[in-house]
Amino acid sequence: MSSFVEIIHISTLIMMIIAGFLAVIFKKLLPSIIALTVASLLLSLEFYILHAPDVAIAEAAIGAGLTMAIFIFAIRGTR
Amino acid sequence: MKKIIFGIAFIIFFSFLIVSAINMRTFGEPTYSEMDDYFIENAQSETGANNVVTSVVFDYRGFDTLGEATVLFTAVVGVVALFRGVKK
Amino acid sequence: MKEMSRIVKTVTNFVYGFIIIFGFYIIAHGHLTPGGGFQGGAVVGSAFALLLISYGSLNSKKFLKKDILSLFEGFGLILFIVLGFSGLGITFFYNFLANSGGWFGNAAVIGVNPGNMNTGGVIPLMNIAVGLEVLSAFGVIVLTMASAAEFTKKKENS
Repeated sequence: MSSFVEIIHISTLIMMIIAGFLAVIFKKLLPSIIALTVASLLLSLEFYILHAPDVAIAEAAIGAGLTMAIFIFAIRGTR
Repeated sequence: MKKIIFGIAFIIFFSFLIVSAINMRTFGEPTYSEMDDYFIENAQSETGANNVVTSVVFDYRGFDTLGEATVLFTAVVGVVALFRGVKK
Repeated sequence: MKEMSRIVKTVTNFVYGFIIIFGFYIIAHGHLTPGGGFQGGAVVGSAFALLLISYGSLNSKKFLKKDILSLFEGFGLILFIVLGFSGLGITFFYNFLANSGGWFGNAAVIGVNPGNMNTGGVIPLMNIAVGLEVLSAFGVIVLTMASAAEFTKKKENS
């Protein structure tokens, strides 16, 4: 039981680091924003595993929804 | 020369992070837990709500939530004032 | 802003009602299940952002109006402050409705239980006030930024 939860913890954190690294090295802007959103969504999953569902709902709605919307508006306005 | 200075600073910062991560307390065992025990014991009978987190946010620390709502209102006022010249 | 393709618009038509209903569920059950006013308002605000992205800011002026949203925002904040001042006979933000037998005044069962909607005192009313304020605040921010992006693009092209 405990080892299973620890395996999910470690794999989630490793995928978060990979997604953050991809958000830096992508050349196009839209895939970079989507990688940042994936990192935020995995952070929400990590909050849920740590028994904080309130923070998980707020992170999934703001970090993965509204931040991506505002970045997409900025890209559409400057292109 | 600049790269050597940056590397030394990075190694010192990284070693501080490693040492503090090793000395970290185990998860879920705080040092002082009198306040948590009071909330878990009495929150359901005093406020009548099942969700202890919501009863802390809206009842015991309601003044904090008032400040947070005021911060959000000020942010909306700032955004609307910044884009006030935009028509359609 | 130009609207997106037909696939995105069809999926948006199918999904955004369910997202808004889920957000209001989180607001209304804030004293029983995880969540509360801020989280539910953020979920409804992300549904507004989905509508604005897929339909464009010009076409969504029909169902998202900035005046109504800012009216709701001021109403929510004033309701929250009035509820805080109502308990001023004892202290500021005193829970004067809990365990009184009136509105939301039933006593909660101690221990693990499925929950009763009619408990919590002033907490459900504060959840509704903060949820109304947060959803209209996010709606106004996203709508204003979409209109500003459209305006700068039109200005550069001309």
